[in-house]
Amino acid sequence: MAQDNLNRDQATARIRAAVTQDLLSGRISLLLGWQKGLFWWRSRPLFARSQQDLERLVWDSFCAVNLSRYLPEELSIEERVGILVKGCDARAFHRLLQDRMLDRERVLLYGLPCPGMLDYRLLAEAGVKEAEQMLEEGEELVIQTGGGEERRPRTDFLLEKCRLCPHPDPVVYDQLLLPPGEPWMDPASRFQDLEARERPTPAERYAYWSGELQRCLSCYACRQVCPACSCRECFAEQQEPRWLGKGAGLNENMLFHIIRVYHGAGRCIECGECQRACPVGIPLLELSRRLAKDIEELYGPYEAGMDPEAPPPLLTYRPEDPAAFPEK
Amino acid sequence: MSEALKGKGADNGGTAAGVGGSRSSGSGNGAWQPLIVAFCCNWCSYAGGDLAGTSRLSYPANVRVIRVTCSSRVNPLHVMRAFQRGADGVLIAGCHPGDCHYTSGNYHARRRFSIFARLLEHAGLEPERFQVRWISSSEGDRFAEVMQEMTETIKALGPNERWVDPRWLKIT
Ligand code: SF4
Ligand code: SF4
Ligand code: FES
Repeated sequence: MAQDNLNRDQATARIRAAVTQDLLSGRISLLLGWQKGLFWWRSRPLFARSQQDLERLVWDSFCAVNLSRYLPEELSIEERVGILVKGCDARAFHRLLQDRMLDRERVLLYGLPCPGMLDYRLLAEAGVKEAEQMLEEGEELVIQTGGGEERRPRTDFLLEKCRLCPHPDPVVYDQLLLPPGEPWMDPASRFQDLEARERPTPAERYAYWSGELQRCLSCYACRQVCPACSCRECFAEQQEPRWLGKGAGLNENMLFHIIRVYHGAGRCIECGECQRACPVGIPLLELSRRLAKDIEELYGPYEAGMDPEAPPPLLTYRPEDPAAFPEK
Repeated sequence: MSEALKGKGADNGGTAAGVGGSRSSGSGNGAWQPLIVAFCCNWCSYAGGDLAGTSRLSYPANVRVIRVTCSSRVNPLHVMRAFQRGADGVLIAGCHPGDCHYTSGNYHARRRFSIFARLLEHAGLEPERFQVRWISSSEGDRFAEVMQEMTETIKALGPNERWVDPRWLKIT
């Protein structure tokens, strides 16, 4: 997790220098990176085509947006695209590559070992309302509030997807721009929190999920950001047969999400983008993670997006496979 | 929701008298009867059902069989649709592992529907309501037993209230 002794401004400068060179020399025609959004606690995607654009490039603690999802569209117009990849962007890249959505040769990956991105909601709860109230010092956050100064571990403020992430360093890149870090989550224990959150009866589970999913607006942002949702035509918009109406009734919301999660079974990279993008705060990641856990239990360890050659568990089988139903 | 469930599913009305209609308990045309949708693969399980019939084995009329080419032909959306439109239980039946007419269809189905069953469970379905069984064409007796057992289980559970689409419930 240590970023050497580079602070974020130095790191940003180093990244900018590397990509500027490639953009100016024509090695890439577009760079996908991040720039500041409307708020200090949000960084949004940057589509840079000139040196001037690159001046807006940032690498800070809010670059959560997974950029790989933009690649298939951009590659349809651009010759060669450069992209900054954190751990999850890199796994998303593998995911899309495995679905044959990308041409590997036309993408230049700049690897950025990721320290984990911060969750504004957690910062706000700790009293941080302005950028000036927060200073990052290595693995600590120095917080200034009315009550004085407080030092807290940075990990207390990570987005859920980052807290749970076992591979913050990119698993694929052409060029690593920053020194590698230290992962904080062991892949084998990544589901531990789920046991603590077990809901014992079907009625409790149904009450929980219907309570959450009734808020769904059917905006499909969760699908749009998902690197495992790569169908050209989604069942949600399919006309013949038509599976979903335009309403957002509970039964249709639940049908959409159950099938969305199922379509990601064995393919979901657990990047949590669905949850981060949801405008009504539905904790979508949990369902996908519960399924990933079941898949590991039944069909062996598998982490999507790690190895593009390893067949996703639902695209293969073994004759001696166990079943979750009685087979006698 | 149980009030809204009274009446009958618009598409499950009457192929067999007295079945799949009444969702109200007590009054009306008698006690509630479960509706079970069984997707049966053509080559084994459906033939098993035929054998049950020609052997004059009886099984509950609550079960509506839908013939599919292979257990792997069933799309989880079909299962969801059945629940939306009033099924109280859904069963997928296929050839025993190793015997699929298309060699590996049921191996794929085994993985898919094991995972799908877990997902439905996480989302709050009573696990008994979604089942998968292997039934060969020579197992007419097993076919009848499986259908009997599923019907009993669902009867004990009562009407399904998960994911029912209210637009499909006709007030009687
Ligand atoms: S379902 Fe969510 S967590 Fe899984 S790959 Fe898609 S966006 Fe990422
Ligand atoms: S992003 Fe949220 S509101 Fe939009 S479709 Fe997904 S779950 Fe529903
Ligand atoms: S043909 Fe029966 S399961 Fe495939």
